[in-house]
Amino acid sequence: MSLPAHIASASASPGTRLPTYALVGNPNCGKSTLFNALTGMKQKVGNYPGVTVEKKVGTTFSQHGQPITVIDLPGAYSLAARSPDEAVTRDVLLGRRADTQQPDRILCIIDATNLERNLYLVHQILDLGRPVIVVLNMMDLAEKAGLNIRAARLEHELGVPVIPCEAVRGKGLVELRVAMSRHDLPLSRHAWEVPAPISAAVAELQASLTRNDLKSPLIARAEALLLLTDQDSIRVAGSTPLSPQTAEILQGWKTKWEGQGTDWAAVLVNSRYDAIGRIAADVVLRAGDQGPTTSDKIDAVVTHPVWGWVTLGAVMTLLFLSIFTFAEYPMNWIDDHMASLGDWVKGAMPPGDLRDLVTDGAIAGVGGVIIFLPQILILFFFIGLLESTGYMARAAFIMDRLMSKVGLNGKSFIPLLSSYACAIPGIMATRTIEEPKDRLVTILVAPLMSCSARLPVYLLMIAALLPGDRVPTWSKVGLMLLMYMLGTVGAFAFAWLFKRTLLKGAPPLMIMELPPYRLPAVRDVAFHMFERAWIFVRRAGTVILGISIILWFLSAYPKAPDTATPTEQIAQSFAGRAGHLIEPAIRPLGFDWQIGIGLITSFAAREVFVSTMSVVFNAGSDDADTAPLRQALLAAHWPDGRRLFTPLVCLTLMVFYVFAMQCVSTVVVVRRETNSWRWPLFQIGYMTGTAWVVCFLVFQVGRALGY
Amino acid sequence: MSPEIQTAAALVIVALAALWLTLRAVAKRKNPGCGGECACPTQKLKR
Repeated sequence: MSLPAHIASASASPGTRLPTYALVGNPNCGKSTLFNALTGMKQKVGNYPGVTVEKKVGTTFSQHGQPITVIDLPGAYSLAARSPDEAVTRDVLLGRRADTQQPDRILCIIDATNLERNLYLVHQILDLGRPVIVVLNMMDLAEKAGLNIRAARLEHELGVPVIPCEAVRGKGLVELRVAMSRHDLPLSRHAWEVPAPISAAVAELQASLTRNDLKSPLIARAEALLLLTDQDSIRVAGSTPLSPQTAEILQGWKTKWEGQGTDWAAVLVNSRYDAIGRIAADVVLRAGDQGPTTSDKIDAVVTHPVWGWVTLGAVMTLLFLSIFTFAEYPMNWIDDHMASLGDWVKGAMPPGDLRDLVTDGAIAGVGGVIIFLPQILILFFFIGLLESTGYMARAAFIMDRLMSKVGLNGKSFIPLLSSYACAIPGIMATRTIEEPKDRLVTILVAPLMSCSARLPVYLLMIAALLPGDRVPTWSKVGLMLLMYMLGTVGAFAFAWLFKRTLLKGAPPLMIMELPPYRLPAVRDVAFHMFERAWIFVRRAGTVILGISIILWFLSAYPKAPDTATPTEQIAQSFAGRAGHLIEPAIRPLGFDWQIGIGLITSFAAREVFVSTMSVVFNAGSDDADTAPLRQALLAAHWPDGRRLFTPLVCLTLMVFYVFAMQCVSTVVVVRRETNSWRWPLFQIGYMTGTAWVVCFLVFQVGRALGY
Repeated sequence: MSPEIQTAAALVIVALAALWLTLRAVAKRKNPGCGGECACPTQKLKR
């Protein structure tokens, strides 16, 4: 790929401060892939203060090795914001946020397969009068779609550097870095004639914004154009409000136009579309009718009303089958080494509380959770793969048919999908839903989607329910799928109920873009997978370790007489007393006080149930070997000798964790997002109440049937 | 290590763990969220 002439001739002089770049583009244009390719591991992720929108800042290097700061702004179709994410992008670019410095330069990423649509945002950004570099991403896909994008022609039209690129393969990055290293980037020659009747309003607002809001003339002009399109209504925390003078002028013009009966805002938008249409017609050459593309052919199957569901089912089955099949060996390896470590400590230290704390508290607690690391890795590898190939958007499309039937907004799919990983990012992602009632319904049902914290509980219970190697893997996969389906069906059922009772509203509409299929970006998939693995390991080594230590104390104190058995010791401990306190409420579900301890502690986080069981069933043990938790559970009995963890009890416990609101972090986030304690308390009540009722039915019916 | 010293050491570790979890909970009230444990946006999460 040769360098455009005006880039090749440019060079940065080493030692001079390099500018800050903002990375902007439409959703699904490959912006995150390019950001990761440019910055690698040198990223910081945070929030814009006062608003739950992710702020990503990274560092790349110029051709001379000098650091360049890159801010990855949320994806937006236009500067006329329709969601808090888009509002942040607009505010940063317009210099409305005091917490974020206005970027010196802007990198505009364009999906080359959708040039005309993507040019709308570019066109607005060129109004800002800042140096801009346009990156034409996905050039390979455009070529396959029979589009010949004349980058040089686009560069001539816009007057800014245009770099063809394939971010997934790293093509064009060298040229991009060279362009970013320049000190003398040209300003756009983009000349857009604002319709004459509007230009007086633009000029007056521009003057006021310059004088009263202290904006530079070009930024003021761009902001004036935005304000006049009447789509600047969304304001988020941290966004500087308009001065009263400018607000008065704006209102004056709007009132005047309303009196004239002409929609000048629409005229303004249309004139921009006309200008973009002319550029696109000049730049894009189409090679006639190419017939259906590969993506179209695949979509004919995977979005088919029948085959689409079959495909989705097959993909999910493959995912869970892989979790059980491929993870077995590394899980056994971790299990063996954790047991050996415990045995080694028991051999190396004399008997005493410290030894018990290390073996029955720390090693049993952390080991009981860390054993699930291989399965977590496989789960997130598959999720990354599905996102990277473009299948996830098809899954959203298939699911939307079902979601719209229960009254859920199409935009609810991504929050609900995120909730399979963790309800917290899912709940935060509901900020893209404009309709408040739809957003609240999504927040209320998101924690019902089975998050990754439930996975260790499900896996432990499945291992106890279907022990031994002779049980076919298919049975385990089926049971796991059943739990995920139960949570999903529960979420949809409650959404349907809420939309017809508490939060009645109009039926939602969904507009969605299906990106073309691509080969997975292995680097991004691996990055995502290891990021999740690190978070899981860090959590096991910090919070779960801390809770395991406290749990050991609560189950080891007060001390029983030396003659007491381990069971008698834990029964009269602090934890045992708490378990006994709630036992009358959970006994109809088939749970005893020891399981009750797990239910109490796992309100902190669901996976703490596993470490609690490890501590509870190993506490006071004087055995030379530390038995794996699964065996310990199978050996547990009621005082009358009946087995405690029968298949029916294991199933009931899994059902309990499908429905119960066992996550204090989620409660806190729901309180923040709804700005009230009313909704999180309601959520705890309806979820835990449902969990109890469903578990009661499962256990009692199962017992009546002889299980 | 005698059982008495082991008991004292274990109780110190338990107290430190309780203190750390309490301080963490207080910090969370000021800055609610998952604390970066679920990959959601947080105030400071260095990769």
